[in-house]
Order: sequence, then structure tokens, then C-alpha cells
Amino acid sequence: MSPALAGTRPLLTASLKQEARSFAPWIAVVTALSISSIIVYPYAFPTQADRRQLAATLGANPALSLIFGPARDLSTAEGFNTWRALALGGFITALMAIFAVIRATRAQEDSGQAELLASGVLGRSARLVVAVAMASLASIVLGVVAAVATGLSGSNWPDACLLAATFTVTGLMFAAVAAVAAQIGSDARTASTIAVATLGTLFLLRGYIDTMNLPAWVAWTTPLGWMEQTRPATENRWWPLLPGLAVALLLSVVAARLQGRRDFGQGTIAPRPGPARGKVRSTTALAWRLNRAPVISWTVAFALLGSVFGNLATSVTSLLAGNPAAANVLAGGATAPGALVGSFLVTILSLTGIIAAVGGVQSMLKVRAEEMDDRVEPVLATAVRRPSYFGSNILIALAGPTLGLLVAGLVIAVMAGTADIGVSFGDVLLQAVATAPAVWTVTAVSVAVVGARPQVKIAAWIGVIAAFALTLLGPTFKLPDWALGISPFWHVPHVTAASPVWSGLVWVSLFTLGFLAVGLAGFRRRDLAR
Amino acid sequence: MAAANEVIEIEGLTKNFGGFQALRGLDLRVERGQVHGFLGPNGAGKSTTIRVLLGLLKASGGKVRMLGADPWSDVVELHRRLAYVPGDVSLWPGMTGGEAIDLLAALRGGVDERRRAELVERFELDPTKRGRQYSKGNRQKVAIVAALASDVELLILDEPTSGLDPLMEAVFQEVVGEVKARGVTVLLSSHILSEVEALADRISIIRDGRIVESGTLDQLRGHARTSIHAVVQHLPGGESEAAAALAAVPVLEDVHLDGRRLSASVDSARITEAISALTGYGFASLTVAPPSLESLFLSHYETTEGEAGGAK
Repeated sequence: MSPALAGTRPLLTASLKQEARSFAPWIAVVTALSISSIIVYPYAFPTQADRRQLAATLGANPALSLIFGPARDLSTAEGFNTWRALALGGFITALMAIFAVIRATRAQEDSGQAELLASGVLGRSARLVVAVAMASLASIVLGVVAAVATGLSGSNWPDACLLAATFTVTGLMFAAVAAVAAQIGSDARTASTIAVATLGTLFLLRGYIDTMNLPAWVAWTTPLGWMEQTRPATENRWWPLLPGLAVALLLSVVAARLQGRRDFGQGTIAPRPGPARGKVRSTTALAWRLNRAPVISWTVAFALLGSVFGNLATSVTSLLAGNPAAANVLAGGATAPGALVGSFLVTILSLTGIIAAVGGVQSMLKVRAEEMDDRVEPVLATAVRRPSYFGSNILIALAGPTLGLLVAGLVIAVMAGTADIGVSFGDVLLQAVATAPAVWTVTAVSVAVVGARPQVKIAAWIGVIAAFALTLLGPTFKLPDWALGISPFWHVPHVTAASPVWSGLVWVSLFTLGFLAVGLAGFRRRDLAR
Repeated sequence: MAAANEVIEIEGLTKNFGGFQALRGLDLRVERGQVHGFLGPNGAGKSTTIRVLLGLLKASGGKVRMLGADPWSDVVELHRRLAYVPGDVSLWPGMTGGEAIDLLAALRGGVDERRRAELVERFELDPTKRGRQYSKGNRQKVAIVAALASDVELLILDEPTSGLDPLMEAVFQEVVGEVKARGVTVLLSSHILSEVEALADRISIIRDGRIVESGTLDQLRGHARTSIHAVVQHLPGGESEAAAALAAVPVLEDVHLDGRRLSASVDSARITEAISALTGYGFASLTVAPPSLESLFLSHYETTEGEAGGAK
């Protein structure tokens, strides 16, 4: 074995033992996503008429194809599964791979664990190789588990295997992306931001390309587009996976080269001296200071997201006009064309709100991270009340996503208001404002978890996951209204409707207040850093 | 009234974490103006006690008063009057040391500008570096400056000098000496025995969640054993018989005889008895050493059989 790789095998074995468990939830989620479509499809859409209607409505909704990709064939369970799971499953697998690689590289360097390892008999490249190998192995296991489970649930085996293979290859590509990001960013947070931003941008780009009526070759311009071009359940092409594998290999080599040339613990951006005196003098200023960088980058991202959605909104009438079936069904349901655009706006703003809440949950989880890193201790050892410390962080966690949502709403409003699609600037902005209380509820779930039961950190994401599943996936399951109503976004009033129902927001806000109260009371009473 | 003079008053404090009992009836008293050394092996419960005093952990049982108030419920009022240095300082990665000092001081209610500048100077701290760039010792200095720059009545120091170089350690001892001269009470948890010896008026030793010994250094020395090393002149009845005879002397313990070299330990209060018992053997040389601080602590830190399984 080459000296640069000395110690790889024992380190890989040890790391796998340590990390294997952390992959289980990711594998479970992706597998569940895939098998659920196969199992539910015959019950939710028993007749051909049901299936045609599905294709004409949800399948033709441009806001949904932004997330799911184009619906090629919704008349079979396998085609339905491909539409629902391919883009989303790949996205989740990619996140798993990114976090696994960053944890095993940068995060270890930050914590000093890597220094212990590097002082042992360990080649220079070994840690990076182990990180990439572990994430790749996890992606492969995910693919195998998803394929077998989907096949056993009643899917065609070739379709299930190809679909699962796209998950694996997406995981391999983004393990390599993360490996490069870990060489560029000089700490774990910067590195994962770079990698996740790359994934988000490529995902959005792929969605945008799928939604707009662009020439066929454009679909080949992004790596996530290649995955989609395998077309499981319709054409079952395996060869578009090859460029994906090539990218994974190429980026891994680049990462190894970069790692070989940099100093331990350093990135490409050298740190500069900062101010000798501080201006941060209150807990709110501290919370803002710690969240400033992510809030600013989220806001910029939302301006971009808004312009994508806004662009989509301006062409929504022509997109629907090109799809008479969709327009027919929607108009046939006694829905005026104006209201059609209205509900499209509700969908994209809800989607924006759910994404915005991710930032809010991250801010709250940062409070827990600060606590576990012993940085809350010195603050609370001063004359600071626990509720005011926690409250300051809640304020930022609610304000950040609101800002993002409103910025995106503003951009969409400007674009939609100037295009002649039957909604005004004011309508769109008001719709964005009306969405904010639902964002607060979802974020407040994480406030309650971090305040009262931070040991089950993962529960902080329940609000976001439930809102996402119910708002986007719920309708594809034909869930009853009471179930869809669990998501606060279901209660967001349609401001362009004849008589918008505003009372839903009151109920939603009562839940928000309840979650906040639980969080505050919990944080006041519990032991810290346990 | 004695109670008014007590800055820290702990009686029968217990703290459980799930099934694990970290503190099992701890008693601790610190009087105003004292520097109180708080010692004990790793995992004995020092930091847990300090976190209870800071209101970060809630006591499971017992009575805790600090500066006449309850550390759990009167947090803000109390924290205006105290400053704290943790043993493992973690700074905000993107904030400079100077910013961290100003933040912590501002949250406590203000900073003495002159003292802040003086401390930065004396500890040779570069306040323009970011949290992630500091070495362990420098992070420690940031926390020390932030704590000592405020005007407080009580300092709680949890292994404050871990990672400091000897020069800075000396500066630290000097500064704490000045603080003490101003009448500030200090609770000093430390493993550096010379530091404790130089600064502490009283010492409490904690083991397995209980105080096992408390008093001035002299009192503690009084309880500990003095060691005797001698080269004796004659061994009646040969080496093995003499060894048996010496081992049978009631005041002597840990008797080792190697040729004519004798070593043993004796209760510090009974040295005269021990020497009289040995005079019959005649001395070629004799050293009677008072217990060193190290041996004092080792005797308290060592886990006796049966208790070994209790700690984590």
C-alpha cells in the first residue's frame, strides 16, 4: 500500500463501526419514500380515470416539477414512484453523503480529533479516502436496501434497481463534491455550506430546466439532469449513470490533490486579524452576530429562489395553456383562471416558507451546539436571565426565515405584478405575509425541542419534515383534509380567493405560542449541557 | 454572626444524572475574603459543584447558599457579583478575543477599562485574533482577563491555568494575590499544587462526590503521615528478624528494610514515639520529612478498595 494511504483500512473499520448507525435514518427515509409510492399507488389511484386526472393535475403542476422533475408516465406505480422519488431521493442521499464526508474530515480537524489520528501511523490521504469511502459505501448500501425493499413491495425489479442506482450515484457524486469543499473551507461549517449550496444550486437549476420549455439537450447540462435522463420505468437507460461516476472519480482525485497541498487545519482563505474591542454587548446582539453570516447568505439565496419562482409565475399561464388537460380539469372544478394562478402562488410561497423554516431550525440547533461546546456557560455565568438568552435566539430564529420569505415574496411580487397574469404586486406580497405565521409554527417546534428535550435533537426537524411531506407529498397520497391540516401551511389563506379564510392563522399562531412557551419553560428549568 | 461571613455555604448537596450520583452529600464553606482551594481527582465532582453554584445545574438535594442567595433562583442578582473562569474555555470561532472579553463584561454589567487594558498587557494577550486561532493557553487568558477585569465580590475559577506557560502562571498568581488583597473571595479548583500552596488559605478535598478533608494547609499536614528514612547501625538477630520486629512497632507503618536502609511512615503527631522506638537500632543517618503536598493529595486521591467501582 502506498505510504499516503497507510492506516486506511483500520481507520475505515473503526469509522464504520462509529458512524454506521448515523446512516440508518437516511437510508430509512429514502427507502420509505420509494416503497410508499409503490404500496399506496393502487389504493390512491385505483382506476385509469384517477390516474389520468393525477397526470393532468399534480403531474402538470410546474411548481411540483421544480421539485420532482417532469412526470413522464403516471399510469403505472413504477412511473409514479420515479416521479416522486428520483429527484428527492437523490437529494436526500446527497445530503447524507455530504454530512458524512464533512464530519469525517473538517469537523474532525476542528475538534482536534484528526490531530490525534494524524499523529498516528496514518498516511496523508488516508483520512480523506476513509471519509469518501465511508460515504460511498453508505450510498451503495442505501441503493441496495431501497432497490430490494421497493422490489419486494411489488415494483418491477429493473425499474426499482435503476431508480435506486440513481440514488447511489448521486450520493457518490456529492461525497466527492463534499471532499473538495472540505479542502476549500477552513472549518466544518464553511465546508458544508459550500457543499450544500452546490447541491441546492444544481437541484434548483435542474428543476428550472425541467419546468421551462427548453430544448432537450439543456437537460443534459447538469449532473442531476443525467440521473433524470436514466428515465426509470419508461426507457430504463443505464448509461447516463456513467458520466455521474466519472464526475465522482474526477472530483475525488481533485480533492486528494488539494489535500496534499494544504496545511493541516487550514483552508484556502487565510484568516485576518479582527477588532481588538467588541461592539456586541447584549444577548440579542450576540445571537445576531452568531447568525449573521447564515442569515445573509440565506437571504441572498431567497432572492435567487424568488427570481426562479417569479420567472415561473410569469409563464404559468402559458405553461398551463400548453397543457390543456390540466387547464381543463382545474377550470372544470369551477375554478377561475385567476384563482388557478392564485393557488399556484400559494404552493410556491408555501414551498418557500418551508425552505425558510430550515434556516430557523438551524438557528435553534445552533443554540444547542453552543450549549454543548460550553459557550453558553460563560454567558449565563454573567447577569443574564435564561429566558432572555433563549428569547434572543428565538427572535433571530423567527426573524431570519421571515426575512427570507419576504425577500423571495417581494421578488416574485415584482415579477408577477409586471407580467399580465391576473395577480397584482400587492396580492403576492400579502400572500407571502400570510405565509409567515405557518413558518413560525414550524420553527417553533424546534424551539420547544431545543428548550425542553434537546437530547432528541432530531425531533427539531419534525415540523419541517411534516410540513414538507404533507404539503408536497400529501396531495399525491390523496390524504384526507384533516391529515393535510396537520401542516400549518394548509391553513394559509388564499388571498386572491373571493373570501379568504384568515381564522386558520389564529389557530396556527396559538400552536406557535404553545411551542414557544414549552421551549422557554423547558430552557429555564433544565440542566445545561446535559 | 458567622453566617454573614460565609460567601459559599453548601450542606449535604446531592446531584444525580440519571442513575449516576455525581455528588453525594457534599459540604463546603467558604468565608469572605478567603482563597479556598478546591481539589480532587478527575471526575470527583468539582465541576459539577461549580455548575450548581453557577445555577447551570439544579441541585437534586441539600442546601446551597451563595452570597446569601439561592444560586438557582437568584441567578441574575448573584451573577452581577461574581465572575467565572472555566477550565476548558471555548470561544466563538468567528469573534476576536477582545470582542469576547467585552461581550462577557458587558453582560455582567460593565468593565473596568483601566484594569482590562492592564490585564491584556500583563497576560501578553493579542485581542485581535479570532476564537478559532487561539491556542488553549491563549483561550484561557481571554477568559481570565474577562473575569478579572470586572469588579466582583467572588471569583469562581475552575482549573483556570490549565495550558498556561510557567511565566503566565506566575502572572496569574500575582494577579489573584492582588485580587485577594482587595478582599475578593476566590473559589479555586486546581491540580497545580504549587499554585494552591501559594494562594489558598483553606483547602477542601473532594472525592467521589464528598468532601473528604477540609482545613488550612497546616491542619491538613497535621493529619497526614510523616516519612522517615534512616540508615541504622545494628540489626539485632539479623535482617529478617529485625524487619519483623520493626513491623511490629505500633506507630510505624509501611516499613521497608533493605540491608540497613529503613523507610517507614508515621502519624505526624507521633514522631517522638517513633524515634524513641528506633533509637535502639542506632542511626548512621536520619531524615524525617514532613508530608509534601503531593503525598498529602495522593493519600486522599487514592481510591480505597471497594470504592473503586463507584466512579465513572
